[in-house]
Amino acid sequence: MPIPPVIYGLFPDPESAERGMNALNRAGVSPNRIVVMSSEPFDGYSFSKMDHATPMPWLAACGGAVGGTLGFLLARLTQEAYPIVTGGMPILAAWPSGIVTYELTMLGAVLTTIVTLLVTTKLPNWKSKLYDPEVSDGKILIGVLEPSDASRAEIENRLRGAGAVKVKATGVRP
Amino acid sequence: MAAKTPEQITDDLLRPMSGLSAPYVLSAAFLAGVVVAAGCAFFYQVYAGLGVSGLRTPVFWGFYITDFVFWIGLSHAGTLISAILRLANATWRRPVTRCAEVITVFALSIGATFPIIHLGRPWLAFWLFPYPSERGIWPNIRSPLLWDFFAINTYLISSVTFLLLPMLPDFALIRDRATGWKKKIYGALALGWTGTPKQWHRLETAMHVMAIAVIPVAVSVHSIVSWDFAMAPVPMWHSTIFAPYFVAGAIFSGIAALILAMALLRKFLHLEEYLLPVHFENLGKLLLVMSLLWFYFVFAERLTSWYGNESSEMAVFWTTQHGSYSPLFWLMVFCNFLIPFPILAIKKFRTITGTAIASFTVVVGMWLERFLIIVPSLSHKYLTYSWGTYRPTWVEITITAGTFCAMALLYMIFSKIVPIISIWELKAGLHLKPQAVRLVVRENEAGAD
Amino acid sequence: MAHQWGMVIDLDRCNGCEACVAACHAENNISTVGEEQAALSRAKHWIRVERYYEGEFPDVRVKFMPVFCQQCDAAPCEPVCPTFASYHTSEGLNGQVYNRCIGTRYCANACPYVVRYFNFFNPVWEKPLHLQLNPDVSVREVGVMEKCTFCVQRIKAGKIQAAAEKRELKDGEIQPACVQSCPTKAMVFGDLSDPESEASRLAASSRGTKLLGEVGTRPRVTYLQRDSWHGSENT
Repeated sequence: MPIPPVIYGLFPDPESAERGMNALNRAGVSPNRIVVMSSEPFDGYSFSKMDHATPMPWLAACGGAVGGTLGFLLARLTQEAYPIVTGGMPILAAWPSGIVTYELTMLGAVLTTIVTLLVTTKLPNWKSKLYDPEVSDGKILIGVLEPSDASRAEIENRLRGAGAVKVKATGVRP
Repeated sequence: MAAKTPEQITDDLLRPMSGLSAPYVLSAAFLAGVVVAAGCAFFYQVYAGLGVSGLRTPVFWGFYITDFVFWIGLSHAGTLISAILRLANATWRRPVTRCAEVITVFALSIGATFPIIHLGRPWLAFWLFPYPSERGIWPNIRSPLLWDFFAINTYLISSVTFLLLPMLPDFALIRDRATGWKKKIYGALALGWTGTPKQWHRLETAMHVMAIAVIPVAVSVHSIVSWDFAMAPVPMWHSTIFAPYFVAGAIFSGIAALILAMALLRKFLHLEEYLLPVHFENLGKLLLVMSLLWFYFVFAERLTSWYGNESSEMAVFWTTQHGSYSPLFWLMVFCNFLIPFPILAIKKFRTITGTAIASFTVVVGMWLERFLIIVPSLSHKYLTYSWGTYRPTWVEITITAGTFCAMALLYMIFSKIVPIISIWELKAGLHLKPQAVRLVVRENEAGAD
Repeated sequence: MAHQWGMVIDLDRCNGCEACVAACHAENNISTVGEEQAALSRAKHWIRVERYYEGEFPDVRVKFMPVFCQQCDAAPCEPVCPTFASYHTSEGLNGQVYNRCIGTRYCANACPYVVRYFNFFNPVWEKPLHLQLNPDVSVREVGVMEKCTFCVQRIKAGKIQAAAEKRELKDGEIQPACVQSCPTKAMVFGDLSDPESEASRLAASSRGTKLLGEVGTRPRVTYLQRDSWHGSENT
């Protein structure tokens, strides 16, 4: 997969990164072309704000409901498939079936959470080349995807003005 | 404590992963040797029959089930503590969470081998799995052993997830610094993590959901393990107190194991600047609470039995209190309460060394507690003619020792492959918004004194 | 109506000769375990005769009680088996399916009577004792639980014989090995659903008690004894 064209600045701390983000916003760059990468979550800063909340908890609850249904069906269908009397208990004993149902409910919730995480973050994605290893050293990457030729210089100025220690560009010119 | 730059923190926390010193290799070799011996003992048992163990009529469960309950209980350290501390937003949790989660995954894996080790025909253990067999028969859902199967598997999957998900950013960190085959492996493990806000947000939400989900799972797991005993009409087993008693005991032994692991890691990996006295203080206070809770449960159970004066229960009661099992019983009380209580209650003694000593005695005491729940009751059932005894053989002792060495060995190997302290979480704790940062710095400074 | 098998043991007739124990071993292919293993409590006597001494010499009284699987209606050993190796038949017996047993030994722990036995080693019959094996009963391998079955092979054989002769089973026609070998006729086996059978009539006797009745297992075996010295209380 070819490296997409990006022009980005590497900021040494969250405060300067926030200034860089604000500068790009003021320049009118649309939010879905802004690229941010960091080695920590940096909750509370403008550059790490999400545009919409995730329905993950609700999906987990739905996954739990599915798991619970499957658990109950497992208990019921397997015991009724080859009914064997034990200890005077009914074939479909309520309390034990409840326990199995409960465990598979929780398993459903957990598995749904994992799947939702991987799907919404589009991981695993070993092919994406859009990355700079300096992010691991603590730098925060704020950049613009597919900048037009005309705006390149201005973006670079804004990023440097906000405090970027480096400004890099990648990708092939269209 | 001088403030560390992020680069210094990263270096410090990655340093334990590099290099193999002579003491490390020698200890790993010794531990591996014991594990291999345990494996040989197990295969000998499969070849010759369970008669090579000390089991007999009427004590059909002994060391193996003691170990099973002990290790499953110990596994309540990590995930439960990590989950509860995350949900309570305790800032001091950050260096502690991965140590804890690792204990859970390894202890649970070890514990889960015992239902196979103790079987008469272990090659048929797969019959516990519900699959459409050629005989048309399915496993018996009414059996507590089936509940064990579902609960332990659910907990194992949840704990492994809980451990692996927050490792993604650290794998990315190692990938970026590594070269050659190491870069390929860690690159694969990191799943292409780049650290966009979306990835961070989803990861943190997933951890939050998992933390909420894993607590009821952990509670259910040890309740279900306790019901392996409580569902049988055996004197002193058939009690409603078993589920909460076991869960409390599990958390108790889990916190002790965590403190012990952290003390050893601090010493051997030179993590003195990250695992601070304040962490041991706080965990020590939790251990104190659990020690009191344990005492409360034991007192409540024994008071009820003694007052009820039912003859078969009293036979078991007296054999642990005054009879042949009393040395072990009083040693257990000593280890679980009489020693830890003063150490943990008096601030002067609640140091790293103090809490580590208290934790060691608790681990010993909790193993004894599992043994004393199982064997005295089985050897004194309703019909006095059938009372019996139990003594383990070298096979059971070797396998038990093998599990302790396996735990240590797995931990040693893990600390070489993955940073034992979560680097991004630790750094994230230092980068909270200004008001929060001042609080964290003050707490860390207070702890460093 | 389906047969409901049960047994009645008259403790006032039992003299502790243990002929039942020997007959059970012979009929059901139960191996002896040797002196060392027996000292480790690993003998597999599906029926055992418990003996209790009362009083001081010379006024000693000995009481004998044969204890074997009580085939409980609410057997605690049945729900706990993960593979359904221990289950309840339609004729009220607790069945043990050796092929399903994986040897968790939970059933043995759950049994309040301690009448379930485990094969700690592969059973051994030194030649020429192997010639004595009963072809109607399987030989259990190491790792499998076993216990008294009320000689289910004889029950089956009796039912097949009666069906072949197109007649009903007669009371007393089926006798487990222990019942057959008892010299004092202390043991009676029969159909409890048939009010005319000897077992039914004796089970209704005023001398009748159930062993560990208070545990709630609802055993199918009734013990007859003049004085209630054992059975409902643990001494």
